[in-house]
Amino acid sequence: MRRVVVGYLDTPAGHDALALGTALAHTLGVGLDLVMVLHDRGRASLVPAAPSYERHLDDLAEGWLQEAAAGLPTEVASTTHVVRAETFAEGLVRAATELRADAVVIGAGKEGALGRLHLGSVGGVLVHSAPVPLAVAPGGFAERGVRRFGRVTAAVGTRAGARAVVDTAVATASSAGAALRLVSLVPLDAVGDGHRRDRDDRERALHDEARQHAERMRDIALEGVPDDLDVTVEIAPGPRVGDAIDALAWRDDELALVGSSRLAQPHRLFLGSVAAKFVRGVPVPLVVVPRDHDARTTWTGAAPDGAHPEGTTP
Amino acid sequence: MSILKKSGVAADQTLSSKGLSAGSVGLVGAVVIGISCIAPAYTLTGALGPTIAQVGTHLPAIFLVGFIPMLLVAFGYRELNSAMPDSGTSFTWGVRAFGPWVGWMAGWGLVVATIVVLSNLAGIAVDFFYLLLGQVFSDPSIADLAADPLINVVTCLAFMAGATVISYRDMQTTQKVQYWLVGFQLLVLVGFAIVAFVKVGAGSAFDATAVSPDWFNPLTVPTFSAFAAGLSLSIFIFWGWDVTLTMSEETSGSRTTPGRAATLTVVIIVLVYLLVSLASMTFAGLGTDGVGLGNPDIQGNAFSALAGPVLGPLAILMSLAVLSSSAASLQSTFVSPARTLLAMGHYGALSPKFARVSPRFFTPGYATLASAIVASAFYAVMRFISEDVLWDTITTLGMMICFYYGLTAFACVWYFRHQWRSGARNLFFQIVAPGVGGLILAVLFVTTLVDSMDPDYGSGSQIGGVGLVFLLGVTILLGGVVVMLVNARLRPAFFRGEGLRAGVAGDEREGQAALPE
Repeated sequence: MRRVVVGYLDTPAGHDALALGTALAHTLGVGLDLVMVLHDRGRASLVPAAPSYERHLDDLAEGWLQEAAAGLPTEVASTTHVVRAETFAEGLVRAATELRADAVVIGAGKEGALGRLHLGSVGGVLVHSAPVPLAVAPGGFAERGVRRFGRVTAAVGTRAGARAVVDTAVATASSAGAALRLVSLVPLDAVGDGHRRDRDDRERALHDEARQHAERMRDIALEGVPDDLDVTVEIAPGPRVGDAIDALAWRDDELALVGSSRLAQPHRLFLGSVAAKFVRGVPVPLVVVPRDHDARTTWTGAAPDGAHPEGTTP
Repeated sequence: MSILKKSGVAADQTLSSKGLSAGSVGLVGAVVIGISCIAPAYTLTGALGPTIAQVGTHLPAIFLVGFIPMLLVAFGYRELNSAMPDSGTSFTWGVRAFGPWVGWMAGWGLVVATIVVLSNLAGIAVDFFYLLLGQVFSDPSIADLAADPLINVVTCLAFMAGATVISYRDMQTTQKVQYWLVGFQLLVLVGFAIVAFVKVGAGSAFDATAVSPDWFNPLTVPTFSAFAAGLSLSIFIFWGWDVTLTMSEETSGSRTTPGRAATLTVVIIVLVYLLVSLASMTFAGLGTDGVGLGNPDIQGNAFSALAGPVLGPLAILMSLAVLSSSAASLQSTFVSPARTLLAMGHYGALSPKFARVSPRFFTPGYATLASAIVASAFYAVMRFISEDVLWDTITTLGMMICFYYGLTAFACVWYFRHQWRSGARNLFFQIVAPGVGGLILAVLFVTTLVDSMDPDYGSGSQIGGVGLVFLLGVTILLGGVVVMLVNARLRPAFFRGEGLRAGVAGDEREGQAALPE
């Protein structure tokens, strides 16, 4: 069965991550691997290591994980793991690799402005190094009570990696039976200054480009989706990406997808500048997809909601 | 607290444990941690003056002799640590040997000793901080700012807050940085000594004094009181060394690594101490004027006065060395009271709040904050009631270390009392060594306590005709008894011996005293 790694801490950010993992489980039928990362015992430290304290931490961590697992709905399958690593991000990447997870879920931490996403230090590192899609829950997500996602939005630019996002979004939406929205993120802020007449022309040209881009995207999407899937295409208006995102309407049960930058190494995430603005502006959980990600490997092999043939509920 | 109970559900074992031992502490790493914990630059600047005030020119002898009780007790410490590895250390072992009341006081002794040293560390750091600023801006008046009580206390509280954040958030420097810091510290100390000797040779020393063999003879210290006071101070200078002995489970390589690391650490430390104390004494003499080491005005912080005359424009290096040494020591020292308080909270000897571990940083958060607040308050009060806060805190500290180390040593003897038949090795390491060490510390503790009643003792701080160090020591210990009685009323279960209770080596409860079982 498909599974995702949830980077868990017994903190508000950890609870947000757990809530996002649970919503993904309900939507896509994935199992959860709850992972808590403790610092490496052998790490460089001015403080002499105390083995007894480290054992105490192991047990505490195990207890916190069990508590979290016990609080999950019975239909959500889960396992728990305590990992030792230099950093939280490194531990999650290793856990995702070893557990062959399809995604990593984290909480964004302290709430950004007006409940929007803001990547904490961990998210910042992960978003530039994770080998699999990274799902980030905005601060306070646990309190929103989102049980499952009803719409999937993919924000797509024109650069390499767009295809991976569209494919992943299509796969996610059809697996979840959710509506699909494709948003064209042609950078309208490229208009620049210059002569007034010139600008109007360039702006018109860019809008045309955006529309064509959106239509291309829709065609790509329609090739691969079942007929009953509800697909809409939007062009994010506004002169800058920030304004464009603000102008988009978001539903409570929405899941957003964005691609990583072409600067990324193969199979690694890297957040491009446009995507980074998107991350800051989005009020819903966001999935960052590596540019060369194969959509077929994303949590879509799961059975529909509720059925868990190999479920190992605690 | 439910989080403390061992969960019955086994975790999936699909994750390999690779990485656990990847960065294990090797020989060099263990030595670096050991030296970093002892913090020779900080220790010397704090202890040089007060020790000279007690034993005069016999400083080198006392430094050498002071290592003996430390070594003897450290043997017992290692035995207890391998029989009952527990974050509570002295507290847990005291309870297991002597029951809840004595164990509680041993824990109290450890916590207050480390809290006193935290305040002294931060105080030394403040002096050197302003000295450094004065050197950077070539304006000696900045260095005098440290003498203003208000500025001093505010700066000290800021340092303490910084150290608390670092401890609470468990921020660590990389191994490379540690190696540099420790190497720099040793280099500056050795450089200081060499320059001082060269200046003595060139005749440009402040008060050139010839080294005499008598300096190394502990038997010619004029009075036993002076001998005892000097010894209790010199125990402080080796304090922290014992961690190299107990790092056994963490060191990589052969079983002999911890022993070799501890030996290497102590050889380096003793050589540095002897070199620097001889250099300081031959350069500055023991006169009571100027930078003479007999001058009470500079005795609380010797290098702050000596660095300029010896190193000239390079004195700034000494400021950096002491500051970095204090910072490293502040960080490693913070952990000790926090973990002991955590254990005390865990076993029900204190409020369970102390057992709280931060779910985000995995540090004993509540206990860390509590230690920081008490240490800050202690320093602020001392700065206003004491004429020489650094000196008095170091003397009090020596006394507190004798108290809880002594109790720990006796706990070792008593806990292993049936082991003497099981071979010469156990007889020596579990009974004879800690027994003798404990006796020495007990004698030192009582002698210091009695002598410090004299208002002229140490720095000469006094309240109402009684020495301040005596008042401090008694207040701290009696305060501990009061807090213990309050807790005995609030949490009688622990004091009735439910949970953790007294026993001997090899009994069925041996494994019980290992957090978290």
